[in-house]
Amino acid sequence: MPRLSDSMEEGTILKWLVSEGDDVKRGQPIAEIETDKANMTYEADTDGTVSELVASEGDTLAVGDVIARIGEGSGDTGSDPQEAPRQEEPEPQEPEPQGSDPSSNGGERVKASPVARRMAGEMGVELAQLEGSGPGGRIVKADVEAAAHDGGTKQKERPAKAAEPERAEAGAKGEVEFHELTRLQQTVTRRMAESKATAPDFQLVAEVDMSAAVQLRERLKEVADPAPSFNDMVVKAASIALREHRRVNGAYRDGKFELYSRVNVGIAVAGQDALVVPTIFDADTKSLGQVAKDARALIEKVREGKVTPPEVSGGTFTVSNLGMYGIDSFSAVINPPQAAILTVGALKKKPVADERGRIVARDMMNLTLVCDHRILYGADGADFLARVRELLESPLSLAL
Amino acid sequence: MPTMRYREALNEALREEMQEDESVFVMGEDVGVFQGAFKVTKGLLEEFGEKRVRDTPISENTIVGMGVGAAMVGLRPVVELMTVNFSLLAMDQIVNHAAAVGYMFGGQVSCPMVIRMPGGAGHQLGPTHSHSFEAWYLHVPGLLVAVPSTPADAKGLLKAAIRDDNPVVFIEHETLYGQKGEVPENGGPARFGEAAIRREGDDVTVVGISRMAITAEKAAETLASEHEIEAEVIDPRTLRPLDLDTIVESVKKTNRAVIVEEGWPHGGVGANLAALIQEQAFDWLDAPVMRVTGADVPMPYSKPLEQASFPHEEHVVQAALSTFRDV
Repeated sequence: MPRLSDSMEEGTILKWLVSEGDDVKRGQPIAEIETDKANMTYEADTDGTVSELVASEGDTLAVGDVIARIGEGSGDTGSDPQEAPRQEEPEPQEPEPQGSDPSSNGGERVKASPVARRMAGEMGVELAQLEGSGPGGRIVKADVEAAAHDGGTKQKERPAKAAEPERAEAGAKGEVEFHELTRLQQTVTRRMAESKATAPDFQLVAEVDMSAAVQLRERLKEVADPAPSFNDMVVKAASIALREHRRVNGAYRDGKFELYSRVNVGIAVAGQDALVVPTIFDADTKSLGQVAKDARALIEKVREGKVTPPEVSGGTFTVSNLGMYGIDSFSAVINPPQAAILTVGALKKKPVADERGRIVARDMMNLTLVCDHRILYGADGADFLARVRELLESPLSLAL
Repeated sequence: MPTMRYREALNEALREEMQEDESVFVMGEDVGVFQGAFKVTKGLLEEFGEKRVRDTPISENTIVGMGVGAAMVGLRPVVELMTVNFSLLAMDQIVNHAAAVGYMFGGQVSCPMVIRMPGGAGHQLGPTHSHSFEAWYLHVPGLLVAVPSTPADAKGLLKAAIRDDNPVVFIEHETLYGQKGEVPENGGPARFGEAAIRREGDDVTVVGISRMAITAEKAAETLASEHEIEAEVIDPRTLRPLDLDTIVESVKKTNRAVIVEEGWPHGGVGANLAALIQEQAFDWLDAPVMRVTGADVPMPYSKPLEQASFPHEEHVVQAALSTFRDV
């Protein structure tokens, strides 16, 4: 079972694309595999003949387990599988066992240079999916930079197959259906529980006067397609404030504060039966129009189940919006190990007192910042949130 | 800027320092009447007389031992050994005495002496005259080690070595004595522990020791013209103290390092430097640190074999390319 994402511990064979006895070429898709992040097509890393499909469709195996054997030569199904190039290696470019470094869970190490490994971690690139251009197929710095630049991989995605619900006998609650979680749902489950169990969180709520932003958006509609949404404005305002407040753009991990050089804002999107948080990379340096375009494209991909692992990795902060459901304000679970998550409520006309005490109607919206108190203290969070509000109330600075 | 040969630059450094400081004197085999096996001490006997330019018997351990004693009582001896190979006869005085004496007596005495010796192959002098033992002296705490590759560095570093209160092993290169280069007029002493960036580049760092700095520079031109690879060539100039900062800084930029030396591979200067680079720049490396070294054999006498036993430009080019792709 190849490691197809950094966090992958096991994978499910959704479908075999080859049969025993088939000749395969290196690079030919041989299986669809469901990981914790996405469904992917896995390609053969060597030429040969499929001598045995060890795992059946629907089987879930730990990373490093054998899923199939590919023998040498056409029709050579009888060859000793031990001598055949091993299909289970997650490093498609390195058929030689020499230099590999089996980890404790049975997975094998991807061959990458130290700088490539470091940068992949920083940029949210999955090493296992890259083709190394260095000596002996080593993944080098240039490969990681190219992958981060393209933001995509050759992997294809398919919607998760809904498991057939089991049923239990009727009790006081009536008939019970049991649904197996998809890998993605398992990941959400694990990470949300981990967040609540480890991050001592607190919330700050601020009411923002969006009247100027509403006017700006009306003007932008005339010139921009797509016109930036209020959520895009929040993402842009947050990214500017993140650049100024480094700890918010960081994480508490293993006794250290990690502060990131890039501002990558994740936007929570309801996907097919799961929550997906695609990333708008370098949101601080992108124009509001570009943020809007990126967000549109990512949301579309999530809805179609086409989002790739690099697109859901590397986030340094998250924005979650339930305003479209009419929710006034809400709390959210921090996306670990990020320092905070910002939630956006509905924009509503409300009576407020102006500076002279007169009641006027203004476009109001609530923002809630949920902070991990291990890295962000009350004043840090308040300072950040005040800056976001200031930017949204004078939204021309967002359009710069 | 005047141009002079490497041996003339060394001669000028000796003459200037002897004029400057009466406690400086020269001692060694054939340094007086014969004016040095490589003519580095030319004219010194005539100018400074027998007391300050002393011919000695063939007895390396004794020559260095006398130097250690003279240095301990306040003189500044410059001892010449005819080759680095012969210096092994004086290992006891160099390692157990010159390097250690300041530590043994808690700094009450120092040993401000220079031990000059040429090393390196190329003149068909066989295994007893042609080795490169930089690593042997680099190994010893208490010694400073200089390996100049240009006439300017030869002069500047020798002046600095004579003025330094530590014992300095000053390793010249036999095939460089006739090399010409610009030397600053009235130039002062150079600084130990300051590497020279001979050529700037963004793609691969090539560190050349002694003559190999020149070989590395030639290889860098080939890498640029034939392979579109811009190498940064660094000449450390002194191995102890070592300007590791400049090397690590460069590796952080290029993500690749190649070290070129004439000495043997095992326990060599390159082995040591490779260890330091991976300790300090591991997360910046895009390829293993490569070494280009002399062959792991006693230096052959036969000309073709001798030529095959130390690195040439093409070896450096190959090693640099191997950090980019399969070669």
